[in-house]
Amino acid sequence: MDLIAKERDRLLQRTARVYGLSFTVVSLLCLSIPGAVDPVAYLVSLPLYLIIGLCQWRIGVSRSLLWVLPSFLAGLVVLGGVTMLGDGPTQAGVSAMAQLTGASLASAAIVLTNDALRRVVLGVAFVVIGGATAWLLAPYQAMGRTIALYVLGWTLATIIGFWISAGVPQAARRIASIGRAHRAERQASETEAQRRQGARLLHDTVLATLTLLAHSGVGVAPDAMRQQAADDARLLRQLRLGATPMPESSGVYNLEGASETVLGTTLESVKQRFGRMGLEVSWHGTGQVLLPSDVLDAFLLALAECLENVRRHSGVTEAHVTITEDETMIRAMVTDSGVGFVLDDVDSARLGFKDSVVARLREVGGKARLFSAPGSGTTVVLEVPR
Amino acid sequence: MSYAPPEENTLGVILGRGKRREADATSRVIRAATPRRASLGTGFIGIGAAVVVGLRAIYGFVWFVGLYPTYPNPLFAALAWGILLAVLIAVFVTARVIGDQLPDWMFAIFLVGLAAAVALDLYAIWPLNDIGRHATAAVTAGMALVIIVTLRRGRDIVIATGVLGAVLAVAMVLNTRFVPEDIAPQVTALAFAVLPPVIGVVIVRGFRRLVQVELDRVLVQSTVSAPRFAVGMMASEELARLDLAAEELLDSVATGKTKLPLDPKTASLAASLATELRLHLIEGRRETWLYHAITESDLLGKSVTLTDKASLAGLLDPQQRDGLLSAAWLIVSDTTKTNSGRSVQIAVGPVTAAVETGTGHKITVPIVITTTGVARNRVDPATWDAFRKVGQYSDSTQNSSLRVDIECLVDNPADQ
Repeated sequence: MDLIAKERDRLLQRTARVYGLSFTVVSLLCLSIPGAVDPVAYLVSLPLYLIIGLCQWRIGVSRSLLWVLPSFLAGLVVLGGVTMLGDGPTQAGVSAMAQLTGASLASAAIVLTNDALRRVVLGVAFVVIGGATAWLLAPYQAMGRTIALYVLGWTLATIIGFWISAGVPQAARRIASIGRAHRAERQASETEAQRRQGARLLHDTVLATLTLLAHSGVGVAPDAMRQQAADDARLLRQLRLGATPMPESSGVYNLEGASETVLGTTLESVKQRFGRMGLEVSWHGTGQVLLPSDVLDAFLLALAECLENVRRHSGVTEAHVTITEDETMIRAMVTDSGVGFVLDDVDSARLGFKDSVVARLREVGGKARLFSAPGSGTTVVLEVPR
Repeated sequence: MSYAPPEENTLGVILGRGKRREADATSRVIRAATPRRASLGTGFIGIGAAVVVGLRAIYGFVWFVGLYPTYPNPLFAALAWGILLAVLIAVFVTARVIGDQLPDWMFAIFLVGLAAAVALDLYAIWPLNDIGRHATAAVTAGMALVIIVTLRRGRDIVIATGVLGAVLAVAMVLNTRFVPEDIAPQVTALAFAVLPPVIGVVIVRGFRRLVQVELDRVLVQSTVSAPRFAVGMMASEELARLDLAAEELLDSVATGKTKLPLDPKTASLAASLATELRLHLIEGRRETWLYHAITESDLLGKSVTLTDKASLAGLLDPQQRDGLLSAAWLIVSDTTKTNSGRSVQIAVGPVTAAVETGTGHKITVPIVITTTGVARNRVDPATWDAFRKVGQYSDSTQNSSLRVDIECLVDNPADQ
């Protein structure tokens, strides 16, 4: 079932309801003017008006023809009662009937335009009700006048029905084209977001620099700070312009085309970066290890994060990184001889360690362990699979 | 030749119209797609309104011609018709030419024209002491308001209609003898003048709502083809903005424009940038298509809550997603009242069992949909078809509202 067709029907139904009910009320007002119709006819008409009103209310929510036909029938009975009982209607009664058949009942035409069966019902109802109205009101009002108003009322309602039915698919087509454009935009935006999020090492160095700046850059030589900022700004600009940033000496960002990258060169740039910021990093062990680039990214990110913690919290200016490897794993041990801390006091679930170290290592199948005690330094062991 | 910035970018977005961010995704996209707001289908409805007004005007004019001999001074009534037809034609043509809009000054001229037509017509028939039977241009003026029903806000039209109705009613009270046989024509004339524009406003409002709802649905529908996890439409924009802000800050530090050490204000800016950037880069910010669909939709966002701790919704294939989304849509939107108190809670997972099927390993993700204020027998039949697309379902009633349990078979992510 087409959802917009449902919405269209709902719109048609509500229009028919408002249209029908308002003219039913007007017709009832005219009928209630003293002397408009025979008192007996008036009393008979009242419950029938109620039925018409109820049907028109239900037409507003139900697509069923079962509410349309009774309203027609009740209308015809009212018409017959008013014109045949007693002395017949005066001018007011004739107006009431003209409004009932020409506007109130005509409102159903709005919902009778969608399919063949309904159009047949519409045609038959138009002829039958029109014939009855013209014939029964003939003694009280010129026939031309009755028919003119009747035809106008039904024509307007039918046009409204057809026009809305035709307008909805037009709108739907344009909306669908907007939807297609939006889907393309969503995919593009997703790709772009992934590209930016994927540039993790770049963001890592940017974040480190921003964190330094957040402390007003205190503790780092202004020249080194400016150099670092310039490198990062250049990388961000390259990212923004959609180019593949190819850092040669700045930070740890590495986007070489190869799927595997040598660990050593990038370790060297990490060392340089921390050197500029006043932390002397000594490398031990193997330097020439090939790693898939996503594993390398995660590994270096975690490593840099650990070194940043050393720089900020340990109170010493030297850290040792030992890289070892076996058949399945690459292991980095980051040690310092700083102040250390009680593991339970500093929760490792703090955003910094958990998100930037543990989570990213876990993503590539690695893990991190933390050892420390007050006064005896800190050791972090990082492991990633080869 | 001097450089002029483009008025519209390649995506159809109008540039340079203020910098206010659009919170509402739907209206943002409408604006992007249609420079003129009224034209999303309402242009066509406007032509229909003109046809209806035209027919009504012919009917009124025939009446006028029929009544011509009875006027003591027909010139004024004729003048009223002349003015009425002139403003109708002028408004119709202007609106088509300048694109389904009616500027304020044009609206004012239109109203002045209508007022003049009403005044002249009333003046012409005043000596006859029966406005209801003789007013033609004055009554048609009410219908004439229908022609601008797609061009102006509903409020403008309702107010204009109210004023017209009040003027006619006052004139009738002052002018016409109130004997029973004369009341009906007055009531009829008043109804024929006032009801059409009101009904017109109701139709156009309904039509606009339909377009809005459909647009909302179509926009959200695009999540059906999204990857298992996505950052959503806004996040990418936000990340790009943060990157740019960081770049500018770092650049100004590098070039020496910003002196080191930083002043506290700039330092706190750097701190907040770092925090925001960190949050944006955390993997956990990625959400499933269903989360994005619900948060991006005006309609679903208000009444649907999602519980999906393990992000299992992302495993559903496009057809299942489509079914789930349509079902939620049908339950929420299928109501006559806007504030019906309907709400839907969707709970996804946890995974119950691994299943061997002919086509490979599958796992079962249970989806429980509980609702409030949705009677089982009032649910649209199409909703069940939509549920069937998601998987085997069973429905029941909980707290006198619908509850649906779906066993949804999805590919095992471990195999992928």
